Amino acid sequence: MAGSLLLLASCGGNSDAPTTTADERPELVIGDEVPTSASSLYQMPTPNELFVLVRDMAGEGHRKLLNPASNVDKYATLASRALNFGVYSTDLVYASYFKLNVEVARYYLTTKKLAEGLGLSSAFSDADFVRLESNLTRGDSLEVISNAAYLRAYEKLQSEDMGPTLSLVLAGGWVESMHLVVRQIEAFGESPALMARVAEQKVILEHLVALMEPHASAPEVAGVHKDLLAIRDIYDQVNMKRVPHRATNTSGRMVLGDDVEIDLTADKYAELVKAVDQLRARITQPEDRNNA
Amino acid sequence: MLRKDLIAIALLCIPSVLVAQNPCAEYHKFNCNRSADKRFSPNGQSKSAAVQVGQETELNIIIYRGQDYRISLCHDDKVLGADLAMRLVEKVRVPTGGTGADGRATYEESEKVLWDNTEHEMAQEVEFTSSSTKRIAVEIVAPGGAESLKVRDGKSFDIGCVGILIEHMPTPQMGF
Repeated sequence: MAGSLLLLASCGGNSDAPTTTADERPELVIGDEVPTSASSLYQMPTPNELFVLVRDMAGEGHRKLLNPASNVDKYATLASRALNFGVYSTDLVYASYFKLNVEVARYYLTTKKLAEGLGLSSAFSDADFVRLESNLTRGDSLEVISNAAYLRAYEKLQSEDMGPTLSLVLAGGWVESMHLVVRQIEAFGESPALMARVAEQKVILEHLVALMEPHASAPEVAGVHKDLLAIRDIYDQVNMKRVPHRATNTSGRMVLGDDVEIDLTADKYAELVKAVDQLRARITQPEDRNNA
Repeated sequence: MLRKDLIAIALLCIPSVLVAQNPCAEYHKFNCNRSADKRFSPNGQSKSAAVQVGQETELNIIIYRGQDYRISLCHDDKVLGADLAMRLVEKVRVPTGGTGADGRATYEESEKVLWDNTEHEMAQEVEFTSSSTKRIAVEIVAPGGAESLKVRDGKSFDIGCVGILIEHMPTPQMGF
């Protein structure tokens, strides 16, 4: 209550001032206008949403697919740190969803280390690490803890208005998600369901590119933005067909919009994989500190 | 005093330079009601923002095929009004049929309204199944409430917090 009074007192102004109608003189209390960022906001799905969908049809996780934790000290520039923060945090979520428990602890510490260089250390607390260590045999808890850390970092990047850094983190995360799903397909074998998940990443990539657009001209973002546009060009050549939903809905809820059929041919799939591999190799390539 | 009221006071008190830090940032976490259906999990794309009466605000999200979603709103009704207008709009990138200077096909963004709460008694929440992965904009417009009509010291009160809570679950398989 005391806090409330302090807040009220600090508002200033005369509370007895006459109340008039808005028609007379509208002037906003919070600046002259709503921040432009508030009128059109973008959110990216967290990596766990994709991993939940592919986990049940993709067999076991493989730690060799992850970016080696030993590389963490070799990313010197802010851009490289941000991109690889996206990569490592996606690896952390992957490890927790595919129950690679030792890697969860390793990648938590790796991601935390990179977070410190980006001003995001508050997202990765020592208390959480202790919690994580004590839950290493309980997969579900690891998912919760790693997701929470990812979300805290994501929200901090948003609240601190670190747009270019956020763009790079999300770009690194998307590329790593694609890499992990594609490699799971190679390890587990092709299936129409898994291929469909790769095909529909077209939509997520379009969303990511739109999210990055306001920062696309920033020098540190421009390169990776261009690389993502090149991958989007490949997706543009994939045939998509929209058809009204016909099947009975099993949950009883309304079905939102049309069904979309995406015909990802073997050639286009190979082209996509090549482009993603090349981009990931550039992103995860350790930097020469002397030249950074 | 309720947390909601404290946020409203904070909104009115802070200098404009602090607006970028978004005093509404966690509004949905404390004010939006979770679904009674415990199978729904909070989705990381949930978001809160400061919204001005009459100005359209949109939250662009991704919905995945094979998931059921619940999208619900919570807001400062004294400033923004009893019910917000909400639409779910799909955004699709479609070829224009033309080519650019580089000879490549050009594209434009097409929008299609999939759900509009003005046709559903201004419902402040909606549940649906996503049968394909889509880009969706949750569009919000606030009509304004009693407080938004008041002007004190030449200043109007027409900005309030809106929370958009998104929840999801794998589409349940029911029946035989």
